Amino acid sequence: MHMHKYEKIWLFFGIGSLFLFLTIVGVSAFAQGNQPPSCLTTIDPEKVDQTPPFNKPGLVKTGDNEYQLNIVASAFAYTPNQIEIPKGAKVTINVTTKDVIHGFEMVGTNVNMMVEPGYVNSFTKTFNETGEFTILCNEYCGTGHHLMTAKVKVVDKQ
Amino acid sequence: MPQLTDKKTKVKTEEHSSLKGTLASVFLLGFFLIFTWVGVYFLFLDRL
Repeated sequence: MHMHKYEKIWLFFGIGSLFLFLTIVGVSAFAQGNQPPSCLTTIDPEKVDQTPPFNKPGLVKTGDNEYQLNIVASAFAYTPNQIEIPKGAKVTINVTTKDVIHGFEMVGTNVNMMVEPGYVNSFTKTFNETGEFTILCNEYCGTGHHLMTAKVKVVDKQ
Repeated sequence: MPQLTDKKTKVKTEEHSSLKGTLASVFLLGFFLIFTWVGVYFLFLDRL
């Protein structure tokens, strides 16, 4: 098959980028173990209040400088909605919802998840600087959607 | 069958058409896509 020289160039470029992307995604997923925030961890959405760790939502210390932050989203609030985190803590955030789909965005950070009923979403972040973060819902969930917020304060360790 | 051979000669005359503009526009689009992806990646790193 005859092909124009330029055509060969851009086909090589296009197919090459495709393989580059697939390689990056493959290395990220299989060698580095990266996964989406919601990765097949399920929960009965009607029994969230009785299922640990969501029966006692909040910040839990799990190791040296390691924490778990369990949050329940529901129309139209996060439980808890005032959180204090010590500076430098590595926090694994677990979120689930009792009713409809909610969003979980920590403004100005990479923490941004879609919280679906029946699933647990997780994201690990290290908070290296003091400050305040707003958590807000970015999936329209009903009439009170715009009021659905929470505050995270990163404070110096005592 | 004779009609088919006629068509073939027509295609051959079009081979000399210039594809410079196409090449330029394909790579302009390509570099724009790379630029935006790299930009988003650095935004991600900055927020880590």
